Amino acid sequence: MGRAKIPRKSTNIDMTAMCDVAFLLLSFFILATKQKPPEAVAVQTPSSTQSTAAKDPSESILITLNAEGKCYLMLGEKTKRLEIVQDLNTTRSLGLSEAEMVKLSKMQVIGMPLGMIKGVLGLNQAVPAEKLEGIPIKDSANNEMMDWMRSVSNAYKGTNQRELEDNILLKGDMEALYPQFKNIKVALKKNDIYKFRIVTNGEAAPLGSELYKNNKSGKKAE
Amino acid sequence: MAEMETKHTATKNKGCKRMNKKSTKVDLTPMVDLGFLLITFFVFTTTMAQPKAMGIIYPKDSNNPSPLCESCVLTVIPAADNKLYYYEGMLAVNTVLKTTSFDATGFRDLLLTKKEAVKSIRGNAEELSLIIRPADESTYKNFVDVLDEINITGVKRYFIDDITAEEKQLLDPDN
Repeated sequence: MGRAKIPRKSTNIDMTAMCDVAFLLLSFFILATKQKPPEAVAVQTPSSTQSTAAKDPSESILITLNAEGKCYLMLGEKTKRLEIVQDLNTTRSLGLSEAEMVKLSKMQVIGMPLGMIKGVLGLNQAVPAEKLEGIPIKDSANNEMMDWMRSVSNAYKGTNQRELEDNILLKGDMEALYPQFKNIKVALKKNDIYKFRIVTNGEAAPLGSELYKNNKSGKKAE
Repeated sequence: MAEMETKHTATKNKGCKRMNKKSTKVDLTPMVDLGFLLITFFVFTTTMAQPKAMGIIYPKDSNNPSPLCESCVLTVIPAADNKLYYYEGMLAVNTVLKTTSFDATGFRDLLLTKKEAVKSIRGNAEELSLIIRPADESTYKNFVDVLDEINITGVKRYFIDDITAEEKQLLDPDN
């Protein structure tokens, strides 16, 4: 009388298949994620508890303020950047040719005084942003951001004001001084742009605070 | 796949030492671990790096000011070296600036106690009016921090203004 012997099986599993899956997923994620474009101007943004995601740079008019207080303008490819430049050319009579205007509008970073635009456009190579001297925003007498913003609001004339306001992003460095920010604000305000957005790093709402409770109950903060 | 075919050579040569055949099986478990670790890393970092946008609204300048109750007003002045000065009510000759910090225990508690105080006086905490007057030496970060605390504590009314000459005097009495 023999009992049926249960054959002992090995507990080793072949990991090859699993390894394949893991690396397949890994390569998929690496390739599928959109690479963050290298930042033309290095800026360390302050953090806030805001939960609204910032718009994509391609559809926004981004004003950047770096730690030294230099101010740059970046016109995204989906904005009316050519119209903005054309308007600036006529309002400030820069005397740019059509080709130069196209070149200026396609510049990744605009960061030179109006008087130097023609010179920079004439150069063969792109000048790195840190070598540019920035758009002057020193005081109300010499605030060229005001001219730029006038052209922005002229280019968007007739469209929904809210749409424009949603597209204006301000990205400032933590170390930038407040008066520099204020001069940008003045430039926007002078052109009837009262609302804009500040780019910050996300941060969780502190436990137990009013904001935390609002977020929990599903109320949306402004 | 991971193991390679190893043929047993049956031919035995006398006098020739037989080589020790080792298994070519590799334990892939650590490699799988590593793979999944990297996946988790990439998944987490890509979703969290998104920058956030904070909306900011400035009022149109108007000539008819809206009246505020004096005990509801709190004025804060972010100044150099991450210092935050404040005073309550109107600026008077005998006003002394108090200092606080940007920590959770500093400015946030100040706002919360002021809210309570306003609630007990006026019956409605929303009447608290905060006036922000950043000094010229304060940084952009200080300003954003103040706005952030306003958002956290749910203060409804705040005004961003320029620092006045009297306040500058108070900040720096020697000058």
